[in-house]
Amino acid sequence: MKTTTSDSARPSAGELSLFLSQYSARLLGAGATCIRLEKNAARIAKAYGKEAEISIMPRHVHLSVWAPGSTDTAASIAAIGHTAISFRINTKLSELSWEIADGKVDFATAAKRFDRIVRDDRRDPRTVLFLVALANASFCRLFGGDFIAMTTVCLATAAGYHLKLLLLGRGVDIRLTVLVCAFASAVLGATDTLFSIGETPSVASGTSVLYLVPGIPFLNSFSDLLYRHYLCAFSRFVDALVLTCSLSIGLCAGMLLMNIRMF
Amino acid sequence: MLLQIFQDALFAAIAAIGFAAISTPPRNAYGWCAVIAAIGHSLRFVLMNAQTQLHIIPATLGSAFAIGTLAVFLSPRARIPAETCLFPALLPMIPGTYAYKAFGGLALCLLSEGQDAFGRNFYLFAHNALMCSCLLLCMVLGATLPIFLFQKISFRATR
Repeated sequence: MKTTTSDSARPSAGELSLFLSQYSARLLGAGATCIRLEKNAARIAKAYGKEAEISIMPRHVHLSVWAPGSTDTAASIAAIGHTAISFRINTKLSELSWEIADGKVDFATAAKRFDRIVRDDRRDPRTVLFLVALANASFCRLFGGDFIAMTTVCLATAAGYHLKLLLLGRGVDIRLTVLVCAFASAVLGATDTLFSIGETPSVASGTSVLYLVPGIPFLNSFSDLLYRHYLCAFSRFVDALVLTCSLSIGLCAGMLLMNIRMF
Repeated sequence: MLLQIFQDALFAAIAAIGFAAISTPPRNAYGWCAVIAAIGHSLRFVLMNAQTQLHIIPATLGSAFAIGTLAVFLSPRARIPAETCLFPALLPMIPGTYAYKAFGGLALCLLSEGQDAFGRNFYLFAHNALMCSCLLLCMVLGATLPIFLFQKISFRATR
């Protein structure tokens, strides 16, 4: 049942601005598109009788919140964290915005729920590793690879992804991590060519690194472009491009070492 | 042909689940991602291989639109934002090979000696980079058009 938020339960523009800036920074960090962020933030502000304008910069979110017809205004800035993309957080934060809009939670509860959602981002690295290896092997099949190539790609991906988890866990820069993992996977993916096994060794070499392609950032950047968030689109595109460049350097180095031609 | 379509759908579904796992979707999203990816990818396979023999770019645009439409109408059932099952479902179509081949071509360009070798490598770079950009644009255009057309459904899925 829809209820309206009573005046006493309504946060001030300052409190709401602070909450929304944290909310926006976390939602963007989790890989949400700019249009979703705008919709969610406007929905939350409207639920408390306020209006909000967001300026989304590549590394920061700038928010202005005001109550129409009064002098209660506030602005705040929050840094967008470099966290892993999480559709679970994206979904939970979108749900939270609707619960606030429908008057199901008050401001204090919403703030607690927000903290719990962003803290509770559990991942099971072993399951993810298994699924990614299987996915890349399937990808190899989609490119015409045979069973031997699929097995090679599966093992090369598992080794590369495990290395990625290890390096990121030790705080190594993501670009260097992608380069090293692409190199490792490319070398392992060249096994079929090296020992002349299977019918499609070139497919194994080419697809062994595809799990490192930053697909979601590429899709997000083009999505932001369509909604005219050019700055954010460009920033996300360049981020994805840099990672693809790292991947390519690692792949080229691996292929060069194993004496395999890309073209 | 039917077996090939089934194989394409099956492996696209597995790829979507695996690549989706990296971005931690909610548990109930995996099934939807798999179904949508299977339909979308096999549709592209049919468009490119059946009598139509479409080029990869219009085939990608068409299947991305199908993926987007399915995601918009199925996401309220799963109570997840449309992008949560839309983007992972698109991942098996990401032109990853074009992307790294573009950089490979660029590297060869810089290392090449002579006009002929440079011209050939520049062609490889430009061709792969253009294909990659066009495919990405078509994928996002096709997939987000349904979100844009059915905004009331797509932005209310988590309500």
